[in-house]
Amino acid sequence: MTQVFEYSIEADLENLKQARSFIESSGNALGVKSDTLGDLCLVVDEAVTNIILHGYDGRNGTVDIQMERDGDSIVISIRDAAKSFKAADVETPHLETSLREREFGGMGVFLIRKLTDEAEFSTLPAGGNELRLVKRGAFTSGSRNPP
Amino acid sequence: MGTMNILVGQEQGNVPVTVLKIEGDLDASTFKDLQDKAAELINEGTANILLDMGQVEYMGSAGFRAIHAIANMLNTEQKEGMYKSEHIKLLNPRGEVARVIKTLGFDSFLEIHEDRAVAIASF
Repeated sequence: MTQVFEYSIEADLENLKQARSFIESSGNALGVKSDTLGDLCLVVDEAVTNIILHGYDGRNGTVDIQMERDGDSIVISIRDAAKSFKAADVETPHLETSLREREFGGMGVFLIRKLTDEAEFSTLPAGGNELRLVKRGAFTSGSRNPP
Repeated sequence: MGTMNILVGQEQGNVPVTVLKIEGDLDASTFKDLQDKAAELINEGTANILLDMGQVEYMGSAGFRAIHAIANMLNTEQKEGMYKSEHIKLLNPRGEVARVIKTLGFDSFLEIHEDRAVAIASF
């Protein structure tokens, strides 16, 4: 039976550490390899930060995180009830430009896309958003947890 | 919640260097504290900053945003094109933090040192 790890936080930046700790402990329980787990903590932190700052924008709300194994992949879904988010509107940061000329922002979505194999942003029918993240090859060979 | 402490030290190399030792998590809930502390020091005359990253457990894009802002506060010369900042450098970023620095291309703009004495002498 597939084990699904679930966690909800209130939309407050003070809770980011809890979100990262949830990913870390669930990933360890699933046997995710260390580098991959570091990437996943970062990606979830960036996604939840964006939801809190730009989605809820100071309003109360919750962020629901789900994590499970699918074959050799980890699948994470992050749901909110915030205003709709259009990832396509986020400009890619210009990494080749000097620091002085570089614009602030856009780094979170860049990191989310860069460090996952799939990052699908969608609007939920009842309102809110879902971000579905897939990271392949998340386990060391001979991992104790079978697919 | 994520916690972060900043310890401020003064060193004298070829020029005075302010060392900010960061301990804990540099995320969206804490990056402003680093930015504000640096702004305060720069207002008081600090011209060179070494960020000691050895005790940073976690750093996301908010941490880079703070470093970026501090670099812009310190780099008063209007140089053109690509160059590494002469006034802010990093010491000893570890593991995942070091990896993300490369992913975001910050290693093209910031000198990264492993040895504190060498880092201070490099300013």
